[in-house]
Amino acid sequence: RKMASKISVVLRPVKSIVVRFCPFETNVESTRKFLQCINHKKIQATNRNCEVTADVRHDGSEPVVDVKFADGDRLIMKGANLTTVEMLRALGSRCSAKDIKEEQKSKKKSH
Amino acid sequence: WLPSLQLVRRGSKAVTRHWKAMHFQRQKLMAVTEYIAPRPAVPPRCLTPRRETVEKEDGYRRLLQRQVQEVFRDNRMVAVCQYNSMPDEEVVLMRHYLRKHNIEVKFVLNEIVRPVLSQSKYKNLLPLFVARNILLVSPETKAKEMLRVLKGVPQVNLLGACIDDTILSRQGVENFAKLPSLEASQGQTVGALSLLPSQTSSLLQRGPAHLTALLDQHLRRLRDEGMGGMAGGTESMAGGTG
Repeated sequence: RKMASKISVVLRPVKSIVVRFCPFETNVESTRKFLQCINHKKIQATNRNCEVTADVRHDGSEPVVDVKFADGDRLIMKGANLTTVEMLRALGSRCSAKDIKEEQKSKKKSH
Repeated sequence: WLPSLQLVRRGSKAVTRHWKAMHFQRQKLMAVTEYIAPRPAVPPRCLTPRRETVEKEDGYRRLLQRQVQEVFRDNRMVAVCQYNSMPDEEVVLMRHYLRKHNIEVKFVLNEIVRPVLSQSKYKNLLPLFVARNILLVSPETKAKEMLRVLKGVPQVNLLGACIDDTILSRQGVENFAKLPSLEASQGQTVGALSLLPSQTSSLLQRGPAHLTALLDQHLRRLRDEGMGGMAGGTESMAGGTG
């Protein structure tokens, strides 16, 4: 059941992550757990430059995770109806895809 | 009496060291008499599960709940923060800085706090207690210092607080921190209230003061004229009116 901490995410291609939620709402559980998992030692160790900020509001807005990548891409996940595992998997898959692309680019440059 | 049929076909005995195939009839018998486990008509997954919640160590649980109740009763300021995993040294440092302002850090379990809150008057704090939380409690309301310490710790996020039985959100706490202290605001109110009465006395005195000033001037002018030639009559008159 503790799958959320076992999903490893490589944060190298990520520049910043902003997690916005309203704690007095009832649909924020998965977003809060996502924030907790992202702040885990292992994931933070993959990229020390990645800034993770938590934006705590009280305006009844939706819980949102805003990820900005180093190459300008942006991933917005609306956590109201997503589970933590789904969000982590989505982020992890995109990060690994970008990582592979970067490795290919660096290989081409070296050739 | 010997049996008429003696199966001696292969020359191997009944009990062998290798795995001997069963006689076909025996195979059939074994296949027919295999054990079939009894299955319920409706698979158990489809039925609603029975609540098997065990009262986790009743005494300990009650003790923790009592502690939480005491915390809410004895402290004026109770702040709820989300705790993301922090290295231990930072936890100790944060605890140290908060202790300097008489703020205590308490780690709480949601399943203990939730029933306590639902029975007390702090029902609106219930949705806050999801995922790992810590409570920062203090008998004084030093919101500014608390916010300053928490700013230096990025992994602890302030969610809300209950100060003097008033539930505040994060913005509320920031606004509360910007307020002047109680003594200063009391002094301000007293000053504002006493401004008008202080003006009233001078207002009331303005009329007679004006009159006295005019009379004084008149006196002086008469005296100056009286010095010129008039008899003591005007002086007496001036003395009578003055």
